[in-house]
Amino acid sequence: MSKSKPKSKPSTNSVRAKKQEKLSFLARMEYRKMIMYPLAVFVIALILLAVNFPTLGIDLRGGVVVTAYGVDANPDELGKYISDKIGVDVRVESFTGVKASGVRVYAPIGTDPLKIIDAMKDEYPNAEYTHSEVQPTFGEIAQQQGIRALVFAFLAMAVVVFLFFRNLVPSLTIIFSALSDMTIAVALMGIFGIELTTATIAALLMLIGYTVDSNILLTTKLLRRKEDSIDKAYLSAVSTGFTMSTTTLGALLILWIISTSQTIDNIAIVLIFGLLADFMNTWVLNAGVLKWYLTREAARGGKA
Amino acid sequence: MKRRTKKLLRNWRIILLTLFLIGSIATLALKPLTFGIDISGGVALVAQTEHPVDTKTMQLVVDSLQKRLNTLGLRDITVEAQGDQIVLIKVANVTSPEEANQIKSVIESQGVFYMEFTGTVFGTGSDVEYVGIYKINPDNSWSVPFRISKSAAEEFAELAYGKKGWPVDMFLDPPVNSLMVVPESVYKAMNSSEFNAEAPEAPTLLERIGKAFNISVVAYANQSADEIAKLAQGKEKIVLVDVPGELQTELEGMNLTVRYVPRAQGESDHALIVRVLGLYGPYSLGEGLTVGEPQQDVQITGSAPDRLTAEQEASTIYTVLKSGSLPVKLSVVGMEFISPRLGEGFRTQAVYAGIGALITVLLIVYFHYRKWRIAIPVASTSLFEAIIILGFAALIKWNLDLPSIAGIIAAIGTGVDQQIVITDELLGGEKTTKISRRSSVLKRMGRAFFVIFASAATTIAAMSFLLVYFVGTLKGFAFTTILGVLIGILITRPAYAEIAKYLLGED
Repeated sequence: MSKSKPKSKPSTNSVRAKKQEKLSFLARMEYRKMIMYPLAVFVIALILLAVNFPTLGIDLRGGVVVTAYGVDANPDELGKYISDKIGVDVRVESFTGVKASGVRVYAPIGTDPLKIIDAMKDEYPNAEYTHSEVQPTFGEIAQQQGIRALVFAFLAMAVVVFLFFRNLVPSLTIIFSALSDMTIAVALMGIFGIELTTATIAALLMLIGYTVDSNILLTTKLLRRKEDSIDKAYLSAVSTGFTMSTTTLGALLILWIISTSQTIDNIAIVLIFGLLADFMNTWVLNAGVLKWYLTREAARGGKA
Repeated sequence: MKRRTKKLLRNWRIILLTLFLIGSIATLALKPLTFGIDISGGVALVAQTEHPVDTKTMQLVVDSLQKRLNTLGLRDITVEAQGDQIVLIKVANVTSPEEANQIKSVIESQGVFYMEFTGTVFGTGSDVEYVGIYKINPDNSWSVPFRISKSAAEEFAELAYGKKGWPVDMFLDPPVNSLMVVPESVYKAMNSSEFNAEAPEAPTLLERIGKAFNISVVAYANQSADEIAKLAQGKEKIVLVDVPGELQTELEGMNLTVRYVPRAQGESDHALIVRVLGLYGPYSLGEGLTVGEPQQDVQITGSAPDRLTAEQEASTIYTVLKSGSLPVKLSVVGMEFISPRLGEGFRTQAVYAGIGALITVLLIVYFHYRKWRIAIPVASTSLFEAIIILGFAALIKWNLDLPSIAGIIAAIGTGVDQQIVITDELLGGEKTTKISRRSSVLKRMGRAFFVIFASAATTIAAMSFLLVYFVGTLKGFAFTTILGVLIGILITRPAYAEIAKYLLGED
């Protein structure tokens, strides 16, 4: 085993070198642009949010939803059929997974879910039905709690980041990156019609953990670097980060494909959004700010 | 080579990982995992109390709900208080949507029950320990036997000493702490001995409810809304009984809580009073209970003009006694029903998705490093991490619901990330000379673990808020995330670092 070492080692390193080479375009970018572009994306995301905020799921807004598995139907026709039969306007959505497909029927609060199920049972007696209903009052509580959870989790993250780095500019950049990741993820949710639910709030909270990871890696590498140049340290960090992100993205994609549970699907897709945004925010924005910061410190004759 | 292997196997980090792994597998073998409703099937209900309550009251609510659902013959019930207003009820093994809805209506129909004597509440629903089957006699008299708690029996014995024939009242959901505005005739009836059973000398119903529930009653004599609002100062709500309806809109316009009770067609004053107050009784106190001896086994008796009415009266009392055991009114604000068959599907999916994700990680890591010697340890460390988290979950009987599984995924995701950080730091050492290599490895590991600790600390800090006082389903998510991160930094990450050092020849 120990003899094969010298042979296999260069191969790994050559792969790494190739990857770093591929990613070196990032290192060559000017830091002004590195800061400008992601900021522009952040602003666009804010505008998108203002125009098209994701709709609230029934667990935050209140409402009734009946899910039927094993139903393969045209959503519009089925919706019309149910609306006619029970006299309440419903919205039908279909979904597919690896093993099962089905429909979700959304109805306003106060509708008896059993009536919807009965109406559907006439057509699809063998389907598997589940239902849930949430009163607007509880939806309100859940909303407040969700916002509170996000705010507190974010603040806690910010405090810990400050404690670890004790350096204003890098810490603020990490915090801003996380904020931008979440903003972009929510904006993308709006575009792709993914509802804001407790599950997706959980995903946004998860993003805090994921995004801080790569940002901390980058900041640590650049601030405590042993490599001689900033660019080299950056490249070594970005190649690690690239590995990290692709691995996580791959796993999430599999999760999204296999699961038919709406909860898991939504969590996976929101995380994918956030990780894509994080790639830009860490390796372009945060890196740009750090480059600028370190050059400035160096010019001032600081420790960098 | 052999020496190195031995050294690795003797490393305490590896030993720790092995011990935890064996322990987890053993736990999983002995104690199967418990799954949440959203996976195993069943119904989850969220109930909200009328107003925020203290911990003690909340505990009473939880206990009585548990008791009540148990009497329905349901098994696998968990009732859990969250915060000062929310109760989470989960019932497993519910197979049909109809059954799920029935449970909902049972919880909602449960009222707040009081037993009152001479204006003192001596017992609530939680003091009713047992209700016997009611009996109808040939003369259309009926009786419902029940047992009250020792403390209630003692208090009652003291109150009732020597008061034969006095009225005992029972209330289900009386309008506590309110101002009632009623027609003159209703007021007169309440202020007379009409509700005094066989004891005209006892306090009137008006006095009793005033003392027991802080309900004030005024006769309506064309008072203006302003005058009524003034009278209602300090009360929670105003109950308007059979008075002009405009008052309701006017009072509501002043931001007051108003309940309006119109008289049903042909309803007598007596029937109206009984209905508004949720009054059952009054029941006349039998001699046996007035001698000062506490008696836990008591019964309510009454008589009706015909057998059908007797049956109705008795069964109503029976139901009220049996169900009315909440210290505060509850309403169901959310429910979710998942059929067991579907839950099973989710469970297999979760397993597939987990395996799929693991293989993906394995392949992608291999693709990045072109070395199985890195890819296999990374993927298997993640697998170990998952096993240990699940072992812990089984040990403490944590209910694995979908958010909990999401938390495990999150923890494993960050775990893989951090293993890559370690690997890259180790691989980055190619330029250093052999002599400086050892110290360099230590420094690099130091840097890797700085990153790992910093990100673990942020995740834990962010999630602990959720765990401590968030209401709802995100608790499971926070719990498994924190658990996973802790297991990661304490057990699996250090062990992986050792294995990686060994495999990459950087020891």
